[in-house]
Amino acid sequence: MIYAKARYRPLGDLYLTVEFGDELSLPLNFRVIALDSAVKARRLPGVTETIPTNRSLGIVYDPLTVSRQELVAQLQALEGDVQEIDALPSRHVTLPIWYDDPWSRECAAAHGAPNNVEFLAGINAMTAAEVIRTHSGTDHWVSAVGFTPACYQAMPLDPSKALTAPKYQRPRRWTPERILCIAGQLTSFYPIASPGGYQLLGRTPVELYDPKQRNPAFAEGPVLPRVGDRHRYVPIDEATYWEIRREVEAGVYRYQIREETFRLRDYTGRGSHA
Amino acid sequence: MLEVLAGGLQATIQDVGRPGYLATGMPPSGPADRFALGIANLLVGNDPGGPYLVGRRPGAAGVEVLLSGLRLRVLAETVIAVTGADLSPTLNGQPLPMWQSLRVGPGDEVAFAQARSGARAYLAVAGGIDVPLFAGSRATNVRAFVGGVEGRVLKPGDMLRSFPPSRPPRDLEGRRLRPDLLPAFGARWRVRVVLGPQDDLFLPESIEQFLTHDWKLSPTSDRMGCRYIGPPLEFRPRPAYLVEQAGADPSNIVDDTIPVGGIQVPGGVEPIVLHVDGPSLGGYAKIATVISADLGQVGQTRPGQVTNFAAVSTDEAVEALRALEGAIAEASIITP
Repeated sequence: MIYAKARYRPLGDLYLTVEFGDELSLPLNFRVIALDSAVKARRLPGVTETIPTNRSLGIVYDPLTVSRQELVAQLQALEGDVQEIDALPSRHVTLPIWYDDPWSRECAAAHGAPNNVEFLAGINAMTAAEVIRTHSGTDHWVSAVGFTPACYQAMPLDPSKALTAPKYQRPRRWTPERILCIAGQLTSFYPIASPGGYQLLGRTPVELYDPKQRNPAFAEGPVLPRVGDRHRYVPIDEATYWEIRREVEAGVYRYQIREETFRLRDYTGRGSHA
Repeated sequence: MLEVLAGGLQATIQDVGRPGYLATGMPPSGPADRFALGIANLLVGNDPGGPYLVGRRPGAAGVEVLLSGLRLRVLAETVIAVTGADLSPTLNGQPLPMWQSLRVGPGDEVAFAQARSGARAYLAVAGGIDVPLFAGSRATNVRAFVGGVEGRVLKPGDMLRSFPPSRPPRDLEGRRLRPDLLPAFGARWRVRVVLGPQDDLFLPESIEQFLTHDWKLSPTSDRMGCRYIGPPLEFRPRPAYLVEQAGADPSNIVDDTIPVGGIQVPGGVEPIVLHVDGPSLGGYAKIATVISADLGQVGQTRPGQVTNFAAVSTDEAVEALRALEGAIAEASIITP
């Protein structure tokens, strides 16, 4: 549900969250991002950083500079100001994916699971080719970034292109880096080798985490994904995978990123235009 | 300059940490025990930085030593201090006095043999350890491959250079922590928490159990998260849309912010305190948050030791932070 009034929850002495609801939805996430932009623009005293997530805005603050009560009052005032916001800047990022790649297959097999794309085909009553067509047939809205550096969660903007996927019953001990994955309706990503329980979709030759910041796409920081980005996944074959991988390793790959404006009303009410 | 002869279980370079990147999934890192690193730095005339997460300065970098095994050789005259856990530190085989600064010279050998109390010791060097800054901090995060020495734990052959000391070595030796401020590291720990953000998802009996049980630290604990063994905790029933969206486990929520100190309870078993290298986002209900002043208590607990969690208000948590930061100050140091 989306709450009638945002809830302010304490997280110890250094954080609080402004929580707009408990569910996963685009309008809810949009309100989080709108408040985040307003908090950043206003530079509230004592606020040191903000963490937009699916359904809440995490605020880190110095309680020796600003009291929780003062901060909540300031945030409540801002909350009213941003309620009517309907458009926000949003980057459109195209990412090449080798769906049903050999690393995902090997990783699934090593953990006693069936080929994950074929498993998803069974769950969603379609063929493996249709799973790939469906997943790559819409833009995905990045609604949260975190867990590990550059890990993110994204929801399909066209609800008719939503797949559903259970998590692994027993999480894997490891997953190779740069694997795209899905659980519930959310697409996610393993930027670095990690344990995990999401179903494996494919692998990208492109880095979303680069601590050495060699490529100009990482000029602002070592992590590419941002909340409010839209991703489009483009299926590629093995030859293209290796061609792009060589460019990435040489530091000459050109990321496909467009700066655009996203209007919420285009995606709600009358159905989807994704 | 110090040469690493043996890296031991896990020794990393840490300063107060790397806040500002939580929204990208980059943990702040920093010391598991801020007080101990802060005092070690003060003893050798360095900037202690801080506080955790909201401070403006990361302070000087020192070495965090987990349990045992680190051995170092001194290559040039300097002043050092060892604080935190008592890991039976030695200087040339003789017991090395903790919580005070010592002058050391070429050929001296510092070693950490075994843990007598606490889990992590801190070694500061006059001037602070000179490794490259990454995103404003020298703190090591081995999982993200950043900070410290090449983003990894220390290994034999590493050479640890220092910045110039703030004062000549002769003016920095013999400094001690005020005895009344020496922390007591017993076998039982009291850790204060603020309930929430998802305490309302747990059954009231389970909150009660969380706050009264003797929890034992699991060996599956590290700088990311510390697990506590005890009775299962139970959840209120959830609406169908959350079962579908967040996951089938009763502890599943639609992912939101995990604070440093947040206590997740996946599946209702083994509450996990997420620590300085922990994730910033997660999909399990969090019963409470460890107050920032007590993160060091969690970081100093050894597997098998007992912890009692006590609920306090956010105001009490802020007072505890003020007291802790107030103690990490030159006024806490006795000079010869």
